[in-house]
Amino acid sequence: MSIDAAIRLRDVHKRYGHHELLAGISLDVPRGGKLGLIGPAACGKSVLLKLICGLEQPDRGDIEVLGESVLRKREPELGPLRQRVGMLFQNYALFDFLSVQANVAFPLEQRGTISARDILERVTARLRAVGLAGSEAKLTAELSGGMKKRVGIARATVADPELVIYDEPTAGLDPVTTQKIYDLLAADQARTGATVLAVSSDVVALARFVDEIAFLYRGHIVHRGPAATILDAPDPLVRQFVRGELEGPLSEARA
Amino acid sequence: MTRFAETIGDAIVAAVRAVRDLWLVYVGTVAGLVRKSRVPHRGEVARQLYAIGNRSLVFVIVTLGFIGMVMTYEACLQLSRVVGDYTQVGPQYLRLVISDFAPTLTALMLATRVGAGIAAEIGSMKVTEQIDALRMSGVLPIDYLIVPRFVASVIMTLVLSTVGGAVMYAAGGLTAQYSFGVNPNNFYGLQFVRPRHVVMMIVKALSYGAAIPVVAGFCGLRARGSSEGVGWATTAAVIGSSFAVIVLDFVISAAALFVTGGDL
Amino acid sequence: MRQAVANVGAGALRVAEEVGGIVILTGQTLRALVPPRVDTRELVKNLYKMGNRSVPIVVLTAFFAGGLMTLQTGPFVKKLGATALAGWGAGYAVLREIGPILIALMFSGRVGANNTAELATMTVTEQLDGLRALAIDPVRFLVVPRVLAMMVMLVALTVIGDLVALTGASVVGHAMLDIEWSTMFHSFADNLRPYDFLHGVYKSIAFGAAIAMSSCYFGVTVRGGAVGVGRAVNAAVVAAAVSIMLLDFFLTYLTG
Repeated sequence: MSIDAAIRLRDVHKRYGHHELLAGISLDVPRGGKLGLIGPAACGKSVLLKLICGLEQPDRGDIEVLGESVLRKREPELGPLRQRVGMLFQNYALFDFLSVQANVAFPLEQRGTISARDILERVTARLRAVGLAGSEAKLTAELSGGMKKRVGIARATVADPELVIYDEPTAGLDPVTTQKIYDLLAADQARTGATVLAVSSDVVALARFVDEIAFLYRGHIVHRGPAATILDAPDPLVRQFVRGELEGPLSEARA
Repeated sequence: MTRFAETIGDAIVAAVRAVRDLWLVYVGTVAGLVRKSRVPHRGEVARQLYAIGNRSLVFVIVTLGFIGMVMTYEACLQLSRVVGDYTQVGPQYLRLVISDFAPTLTALMLATRVGAGIAAEIGSMKVTEQIDALRMSGVLPIDYLIVPRFVASVIMTLVLSTVGGAVMYAAGGLTAQYSFGVNPNNFYGLQFVRPRHVVMMIVKALSYGAAIPVVAGFCGLRARGSSEGVGWATTAAVIGSSFAVIVLDFVISAAALFVTGGDL
Repeated sequence: MRQAVANVGAGALRVAEEVGGIVILTGQTLRALVPPRVDTRELVKNLYKMGNRSVPIVVLTAFFAGGLMTLQTGPFVKKLGATALAGWGAGYAVLREIGPILIALMFSGRVGANNTAELATMTVTEQLDGLRALAIDPVRFLVVPRVLAMMVMLVALTVIGDLVALTGASVVGHAMLDIEWSTMFHSFADNLRPYDFLHGVYKSIAFGAAIAMSSCYFGVTVRGGAVGVGRAVNAAVVAAAVSIMLLDFFLTYLTG
């Protein structure tokens, strides 16, 4: 059990129906590090994130998060660990029966140990940091896509977690907003030193934010390297994907 | 041939697993009730009481009223063919209303209205990953979502059964009076009502009130996909809770029959 | 206080709007039947789907309902020593009332709700608009086959269900009240008239129409994503239940 690794995956397998989505994933994410995860659509990236959070259980393999195993634990036992992890869901997963303020305050309230005044202070500060000061009373139905993402980010980070997981933080947003979001994520991480795991289909913007990028393809991690040089990766498969080229090993494999 | 056996086998395994999961939801709900929650739920229970009770009141009154009229009409019609004497209709009818029709018909109506509502709400939360978000915040979905609805449903089913029963009885009396000339004094009488009938009503209403949110919540939590999944969950909830009500009715009535030695 | 009155008024307006909408859809459906050009493939597909899916649950429900009726009326009849009438009590209620109503309610829950969910999903994913863009009338293509299929299926299911319920009544009578099979059978045959059976069938035709129209209406007028679909299904089953009760009332009085 290494204390340096925030996330430790060993030979993780997960199958859906008759399809083996994850066929032996082994991955380490060092504490304070930033790892980006890319890959073709529906290849299991979101499933991998859910396994890390203990929202689903793997068929086989070992998963350790922040030094604790998440295998075969019942929901109440995962509570303390989850308090140290923040997750931004792909479709925001905001509570549509609560206001923006109540959404962001929710994780803090559930701990039962923080005073109402502290909660209010922290929520207000967080909303200001993500650029949504003044929208506290709004309901989620009244928000635009970008605003919902920012509420999601605020809710994921309000408790200053040691590990933050972002599932598609900028999908569907225009380039300027995308950059603003990544600037925000970078500022957060610089301030708290948290470990970051980010899944994104916008490889270029992601590469500017994370240290390393891993490529998930057909159930395996086929590449892992520095983000800065991802566009010139040695593997032609990866190169074709990140450059968005039409021809190459990816399309041949699919045909 | 083996494919066929496989399919049947798969279906049985899936069904057994579903029943086990449903039982786990029920156990989880009761455990959640017993466990003292850090987060105040009283507000939520009150809100659910309003949601269930207030919005179903008119529905229950209308449907039970009409069905009461029909039942009395049919009973009188048939009696006129066979016996010709209406003096026992009212009191016998009251016995059946109390011990069976009021709680069961109310519950069937509620299974439709409340069951569908709960499954739709929880189902759409499931497909938009709000259930996962709850879990990530350290909340047990059963505690947070199902327990308040459970409490409210148990209380409201009993209350609405009483109201519905009264409406059914009164509507029946009016029908008997205006269509068959039955004297209200003969109709309205408690002669055949025994304490055990009231006990049966309470037991049935409480059981139905417990079953509906558990089945509906269970279906909601299993929703998968997007809008289709929600539709499917809602459908399953209506069927499942209606069927549960009927089976419970049968079981409780049969048990009562054994306990009282064949004297209902 | 004013708020309460406003709520009641708003509720009444909403009900009126829904009833009006259903009537309009019914009119459109009837008009699409003249001339009767129905997409037979859709019709057969729906007949199969709806019948197939609901047979198990209807059979189970009918069995228990029949058994219930015997439990309710049997002891009373036995006490009076009139076991010959045992079948009368259970059978009469089943054929005329309990059978058609319960089967209709179950059908509404199983098929009606599912149908609403399907149509609602199609509407939300803009498939209905897609059909219109292809110059296909959604009412003729989607609604009419489903309405016809539902009505036919409910009648068939009611007939099957009635028989199963009578069986259930006999089984319970035999197993729990020691009433002989032959006694039950004879009391059915002696006391139940064919008209009682038909009465239930007429009702199921009306119920089928009500369930079908309400189910299709709420399916195609849905608004707002996954949540809207859930709400549409909810509204459809509630409307169907109320219609069933109201129709039962009027039909009982009108046809005796």
